[in-house]
Amino acid sequence: MWSRRSVATSRPREQSEGWRSPVITAAVLCPAPPLLHPGLTGQQAVVPELRAACAQAAGRLLRDDPEVIVVAGPATATGEWDAAGRLDPAAYAPGVARTETGSLPLPLPLGLGAMLLDQAGFRGRRRLLAVGQDEPASACAALGAAIAASQDRTALLVMGDGSARRTLRAPGYLDPRAAFFDAEVERAVRAGVLDALLGLDQALARDLMATGRPAWQMLAGAMRDLAPAAEVLYCADPFGVAYLVACLRPADP
Amino acid sequence: MTGTGMGQADLRLGRRVFGSAQLLVMAIVNRTPDSFYRPGVTWDPAAALERVHTMVAEGADIVDIGGVPARPGDEVDVREEVRRVVPFIAAVRGAYPDLVISVDTWRHEVGRAACAAGADLLNDSWGGWDTRLAEVAAQAGAGIVCSHAGGLPPRTRPFRVAYDDVVRDVLARTLALADRALEAGVERARIIIDPAHDFGKNTWHSLEITRRLGDLAGTGWPVLVSMSNKDFIGETLDVAVDDRLAGTLAATAVCAWLGARVFRAHHVRETRHALDVVSAIRGDIPPARAVRGLA
Repeated sequence: MWSRRSVATSRPREQSEGWRSPVITAAVLCPAPPLLHPGLTGQQAVVPELRAACAQAAGRLLRDDPEVIVVAGPATATGEWDAAGRLDPAAYAPGVARTETGSLPLPLPLGLGAMLLDQAGFRGRRRLLAVGQDEPASACAALGAAIAASQDRTALLVMGDGSARRTLRAPGYLDPRAAFFDAEVERAVRAGVLDALLGLDQALARDLMATGRPAWQMLAGAMRDLAPAAEVLYCADPFGVAYLVACLRPADP
Repeated sequence: MTGTGMGQADLRLGRRVFGSAQLLVMAIVNRTPDSFYRPGVTWDPAAALERVHTMVAEGADIVDIGGVPARPGDEVDVREEVRRVVPFIAAVRGAYPDLVISVDTWRHEVGRAACAAGADLLNDSWGGWDTRLAEVAAQAGAGIVCSHAGGLPPRTRPFRVAYDDVVRDVLARTLALADRALEAGVERARIIIDPAHDFGKNTWHSLEITRRLGDLAGTGWPVLVSMSNKDFIGETLDVAVDDRLAGTLAATAVCAWLGARVFRAHHVRETRHALDVVSAIRGDIPPARAVRGLA
């Protein structure tokens, strides 16, 4: 069940001797609300525990010293963005300093993912992959499979949110289907049964304003058959939007 | 275009340094039985100190302690004025080592005793009537407010006052007083100018100095405005003294936008809120807590 704050019961296992690591070293799920950006909530951090959980999770991605970190998040269309790109916070808060990178400002989820990597001190190679919001599950999974087929040891930072219609005060008002939808996602992630994410209904997700759907299905494609162990660092809906922060590591063979 | 930072330097009051973008609330504490707004409410010393605690908690940066009403009335001599304000200033200083304390007086004898008790600023509402006040400020290392009373003696009302250009007169008199304070040895960063709404002015004049407040801010001197519940607000709206808060806050916001930096006020919390909204609109401070549309 979604609660104000819930803590993991399952922990990632250590790698055993002589076992060849899969291409995907680890994956992290983070939500992508603008309020994750420290410049956008004014004088208060508003949800410091969410920011702390995201920072902690992003830090975990660096542990295995991956050759590349792929930031994946939903956007209008599928495509790869300039790795030097950053979020433009001024789009959300005119008057807040613009980020000058010389690149087009990133879509929100990719921009926040890039920010989390910057905050974690990651200086290595990164790819920024937008997954189109209307891509069907099969196409999303194929994008993930392509990443898993690469030669580089890769960590994934998957940015996306659950339903935004969980309460009367939620951005999308209350939809009684939201709780079940989000619970299904949480159950799949906690159990490491990512295939269940491929079954998420695209139309329902759109109705529920659950923007994370395509990115999660990409993740399911990338970690297929890895039966990852999960640690959930944050799972709550302080503003009626489902936020889930989780770390996934491939299990021992 | 606003007056934000236009040639404005830091303002130093007591131990505090205030940047040009900071808008300061000067809270009024009258040690009088007969001031125009809620007469006698802080006549009792214990009630007055309680009022200071409340005002500080509500966001006052400065407290302005006065012992003589601006309006005509019973004579209050130097001795009585000292008795009313000086022990109280000492008590406030004892409770708040860093709070900026201002004394509302035109008399140098009162100013000297007030500074000895811990006052940081001499708020001379009567436009330099007592020419020795600036010397007292200089000797004490205190600040001074140089205000425009149109040459009227203390505690007198305007009678058919007329100006070719009231703003020009305000500029001429306040800048002359500021220069005089500098010559007397007051530190430049501790000098403030005040157009003094209602003092030597009818309502039309007070509206005009509000409208053209940017001319004052443009001089580079920090500008104080004292408009709280005053007659020009009352006459503009035709409302009694207890019904002038909304009008006061509107004038406060306009003056803040045009570059005033210090706001003398009875309603600290409401004034603080109005000024914080102006600061946020200007982009000088972020919202306290932004979530709407960002979750």
